[in-house]
Amino acid sequence: MSGSLINHVFLQILTGLQLGAIYVLIALGLTLIFGTLGVVNFAHGALFMLGAYFAVIIAGKFGFLTAIIAVPFLLFIIGIIMERGLIRFFYNRPHTDQILVTFGLAIVVQETLKWIFGANNIPFPLPRWGGGILKLHEWLPFLEGFVAYPKWRMILIFVSLVTVAALFALLQFTRFGLIVRAGMRDSEMLRFLGINITRRFAIVFGLGAMIAGIAGAFGGPVTQVDPEVGMAFLVPSFLVVVIGGMGSLPGAVLAGFMLGMAISFSAQYSAIQQIIIYLVAVIVLLVRPRGLLGQKGVMEE
Amino acid sequence: MSERKTGKSGGWSRRGILKAGATAGAVSALSIGTPTFFIKDAWAQKAIGNFPVKGKSVVFGFNVPQTGAYADEGADELRAYKLAVKHLNEGGGMLETLKPSSLKGNGLLGKKVEYVVGDTQTNPDAARTSARRMIERDKVIMFGGGSSSAVAIAQQYLAQELGVIFMCGLTHSNDTTGKDKRRYGFRHFFNAYMSGKALAPVLAKEYGKDRRAFHLTADYTWGHTQYESIKQFTEKEGWTTVGNIMTPLKATDFSQFLTAVLNSDADVLVLNHYGKNMINSLTQAVEFGMRDMQKNGKQFEIVVPLYSRLMAQGAGPANIDGVLGTTNWNWTLQDAGSQAFVKSFEAEYGFPPSQAAQTCYVQTLLYANACERAGTFYPPEVIKALEDFEFEGTGPGKTLYRGGDHQCFKDILVVRGKGPDKKKGKYDLLEIVDQVKREDVIYPVNTFPGELGPYEPA
Repeated sequence: MSGSLINHVFLQILTGLQLGAIYVLIALGLTLIFGTLGVVNFAHGALFMLGAYFAVIIAGKFGFLTAIIAVPFLLFIIGIIMERGLIRFFYNRPHTDQILVTFGLAIVVQETLKWIFGANNIPFPLPRWGGGILKLHEWLPFLEGFVAYPKWRMILIFVSLVTVAALFALLQFTRFGLIVRAGMRDSEMLRFLGINITRRFAIVFGLGAMIAGIAGAFGGPVTQVDPEVGMAFLVPSFLVVVIGGMGSLPGAVLAGFMLGMAISFSAQYSAIQQIIIYLVAVIVLLVRPRGLLGQKGVMEE
Repeated sequence: MSERKTGKSGGWSRRGILKAGATAGAVSALSIGTPTFFIKDAWAQKAIGNFPVKGKSVVFGFNVPQTGAYADEGADELRAYKLAVKHLNEGGGMLETLKPSSLKGNGLLGKKVEYVVGDTQTNPDAARTSARRMIERDKVIMFGGGSSSAVAIAQQYLAQELGVIFMCGLTHSNDTTGKDKRRYGFRHFFNAYMSGKALAPVLAKEYGKDRRAFHLTADYTWGHTQYESIKQFTEKEGWTTVGNIMTPLKATDFSQFLTAVLNSDADVLVLNHYGKNMINSLTQAVEFGMRDMQKNGKQFEIVVPLYSRLMAQGAGPANIDGVLGTTNWNWTLQDAGSQAFVKSFEAEYGFPPSQAAQTCYVQTLLYANACERAGTFYPPEVIKALEDFEFEGTGPGKTLYRGGDHQCFKDILVVRGKGPDKKKGKYDLLEIVDQVKREDVIYPVNTFPGELGPYEPA
């Protein structure tokens, strides 16, 4: 019995990590953009969706490996165009204006995709090397009997962790990262010091979009590719950002996996399952009003 | 009415417009309820809904999901509706096979048939708003559509309230002609109860009598009644139901629920999902290795009680290979009615129709036929012409429109998904395992509670 209990808990944890992995990837870009640029980007779900659509099309024509490389790159460019063409005009406007314009943009993207590809989901077949199951009991001695998990979802967890590590390394160990981190603390001061923050802002926005692209390429086969998937992930991802603390990257990672776990472990109780993420948000915000790792002064006057 | 309102709205305050709207609404409600003695033809029958029909044409309203989880079905329903209108006006299709038929193929009661279209958004509130607009602005004499039973039931209540007949499209909940049945609502499609009754014996034969089933169920009226029915009939065959999780209609990732299934001691997964829900949950269940798994010393099996060719197409032949379920109709049926419909549909659109298309097409013809038989559009007479009407030539065997609950009874199909190596062509995805006879799926009218309500809306 204890062995099967370990199996149960282990599978639920894995599912939690896997659900959290997509939230983390989306929320990471979201909180990065908010933390540096102060823009609440409601179009981030749409960027994720664009990533998924690009991935399914490119994977269909040129193979999945091409898609993995091309999609984040494409999204990086789209992010920069979006920042230069639209978002930068809203830096000094109130948050409500930013929310309206990005939300509007999200709807435009959603309806355009619906218009081009129809309202129904496009099948996103897994690449041959990513299909099938991993027999985990052969690797982990504490598991009893037969315990398997879809290989692709393990890859998703891995990719999410690698992306998080890469982003932290970039911010922690490079000059670019230093400036961006300084910008997250006090962008005004940075300007006074004569650092050209504008160009870096565009790159940061592009980075955020790029991570959404990675989420789209690897998450697409899991979430399915349809015009509503962007909106479906937007709200939970925002909750992740809020629970983690606005603008805090480690907070977003922590909160993302926490929500994944909450969803996974409440799966059998339908009534709670559908409100669990909001329940977690309420409890966390009651105990820590700035979120798990939120800093004083962010989004506060 | 609406022109009057919009013409002046430029200079009005919001409050003014709201007030005018409310007044206009009240006036229109009054005019519907007041007998129109001064209209020549109406001396014997009082005005109900949009009866009497004025002018040279009569309008049908087609309210289908153009967005949401069931958008695929909605698009196909609309194609079928357009074809039905074309055939009513010009002849062809099932007009040649329906028996007994009073349809002439030159319009309806001397009037040309026209139609208006709405979007239900797979959402009961949006559907009601859209239907109300059709009835009050476009003056439709009948409206039809689906999918989603929650949507169908919401529209049925509206139909009864306003005295306009609603011909249900794709709705499979027992409630539609059970506890929520309405005098002004009619359903040709089968229901979850019949699915359970037809499917359970086949399941027991194929998979054995000592199976343990876990259900994942779409969380609304249809899912709930299908879960009840499948549970009831499989347990009668000796199966045990070990668990059920209600999943939100909007869900796209089912992994957390599938993990719970893996953690149970179930050896069968029953997916009470339809449309995109089913496409996603089935695909993911296959990803979790459930089709290749052994549980309790048996091969793990997946069952989809309500199947459709469109869903099979969405999930892909590799995933549906061997999966059992039931369907109302399939385009490969060889009877004269089905063939006439398939041929004309293919000629028009270039691919075969779905079960959703067939039920909507037949419903439109049946309504028109009832008007011709009654010799009037007067709703109570049309309803009486539909009640207990028995006919053939719209599918295999004879069909009865039972007067007691407005449910059609006919043969239904148990089908099995065809794998990539078995299918012939892109649309050949379902193999008919069993054609279950009408006598074997029919049930007494008092199986479910509910009252139809009066012929004349209060």
